Amino acid sequence: MTSLVAAAPRRPSHHRQVLRLRKAVGLVLLATLAFGFIIPILWMTVMSFQAGEKMFQLRTEWIPSVWHFENYPNALSRAAFAQYFLNSGVVSLAVMIGNVVFCTLAGYGLAKFRFPGSSIVLLLILSTLMLPLEVTLVPTFLVIHKFEWINTYQGIVAPLLIDAFGVFLMRQSMISIPKDYIEAARIDGAGELRILLQIIVPQCWPALSVLAIFSFRDSWDQYLWPLTVVSVDGLRTFPLGLVQFGEDYGNPPTEQMVIAVLATIPVFLLFAILQRSINRGFGLSGLK
Amino acid sequence: MAELASIGSYEKKDTGAQPSSRLFWRIGYHTRINLWGLAFVLPTLIFFVVFKYGPMLWAIALSFDSYDMISAPRFVGLDNYRALLSDPIFRETLVNTLVYIGGSTLLLTVSGLGLALAVNTGIPGARHCMTAMFLTNLMPIIAVCLVWRLLLHPYGVVNQILQPFGVGRIDWLTNSATAMPAIIMVTVWRFAPYFMVVFLAALLALPDDYYEAAELDGAGPVRRFIHITLPLLMPTIFFVVVVSALLSARIFLMPYLITGGGPGNATRVLSMLIYETGFSYFKMGQAAAISVVLFAIMLFFTSLQMRLFSRSERIYL
Repeated sequence: MTSLVAAAPRRPSHHRQVLRLRKAVGLVLLATLAFGFIIPILWMTVMSFQAGEKMFQLRTEWIPSVWHFENYPNALSRAAFAQYFLNSGVVSLAVMIGNVVFCTLAGYGLAKFRFPGSSIVLLLILSTLMLPLEVTLVPTFLVIHKFEWINTYQGIVAPLLIDAFGVFLMRQSMISIPKDYIEAARIDGAGELRILLQIIVPQCWPALSVLAIFSFRDSWDQYLWPLTVVSVDGLRTFPLGLVQFGEDYGNPPTEQMVIAVLATIPVFLLFAILQRSINRGFGLSGLK
Repeated sequence: MAELASIGSYEKKDTGAQPSSRLFWRIGYHTRINLWGLAFVLPTLIFFVVFKYGPMLWAIALSFDSYDMISAPRFVGLDNYRALLSDPIFRETLVNTLVYIGGSTLLLTVSGLGLALAVNTGIPGARHCMTAMFLTNLMPIIAVCLVWRLLLHPYGVVNQILQPFGVGRIDWLTNSATAMPAIIMVTVWRFAPYFMVVFLAALLALPDDYYEAAELDGAGPVRRFIHITLPLLMPTIFFVVVVSALLSARIFLMPYLITGGGPGNATRVLSMLIYETGFSYFKMGQAAAISVVLFAIMLFFTSLQMRLFSRSERIYL
């Protein structure tokens, strides 16, 4: 009798211990997996502080015996990287703003209005997903050539300005907003643009954050298009500068890693700022 | 009284105004509202006509021409396509592209789903692991290429990690048997965390009651996965397959920087061939013909996409 009473509370605690153990094992496995994924990022960071000659031997000192902070100013002084980063910044900010503005407008137009041909317009926009710059490279170059935009900022920015994915992301995030809000605002005499800005946009921050980070990243690391349309050094974006730098100096790994680290920072930073919103934008708010 | 007066003057101004605005008011409240919708979409539509559809039509027209950007385009009929068919490099490149699309689509879908299932186990801290993995998707692609080119070096980190498992030194990037798998591996590393997020969102949106019922009926985790999760995830899987195929069809920088298309032509893909033909050899017509071939491949996947979108309204970026 006493043993039964004593055994009764022990069983659930034993069960809880097994559960806890399973969770701990799971966490260790998952953390190992995640760590495996970020090894290249860590390696890149560590290597950027490594002595140049050690890098050529590709001996990985995971914790450098000497931290060579001077790699950073050295790498930056070898080529006009300040200019390249500035160019990339201008281009990707312009592309990001273009996407945010035009995808919001178009997404709203497609989500909440029924004008003649609206379903065909939707289809037309969706279909441009099969026409990335890689496919239309030659004629897009000829179009920009016709506009006489070769070797200009607008030439780099123009073909990247709106992405169909963004239009759809915005449309899908707006489609579930109740029409009553919009009708009520209209009755109160609000203009259509004001309805968009004051009623729709505040409900779409998560989708807008996702759109912002992806359009920033895609134009920040865009290589093929600037390569095609830019031939003067002063307009090079940093990916072009980085490859040219590698060719000019025989790929000095340490200094390439320095630039790679510097190039990664802005995207990570933007992600850190928008992270909470991005998680909601992806529909991950239920995740533990 | 002052208010009334102002209303009166407002009305007077309005009725006395231009006849065109009267026409605008006569076309009906709903039509008028819906024209606003068209106005919102119009800039985007014009943009796509100028920078997507126009260029594509131009590419098709150009693929029947010989054009070097110096002399005027000259009509050559199907010569560009005939030249492609008889070009062994083009055939090899086409096969490479299809192999790359097939390999990375399969692996991205499987690993994306696998990662999502691993994260969605209710383990505390899973969210942080997910965020860490997602960082690979945010790294500039140029940094990815430069880092992996060094990691895959014969004396690089990948071989160092494999060494304890008894794997000999592999010349990943200079051996034609391993170069393409290596590029696909980098692709998976880069993009699988993105598809993990897509799958994760779909998993989180699945209704709980099916699982509770199945658990009551004594179905184990494997059976629950096969009979509940997988069927419910079908639209998402389809979406991921199409998107990763479109993504891999346009790949350029990874083979361009990591292997330079080599060894030989083992990792040369169509987008590289378009760039080289057009901007290194200035054979614009020939490059346009290759563009049309790549377009046909993407059209195939997009038509799959259309069927998907007609079936389900959900979309992820």
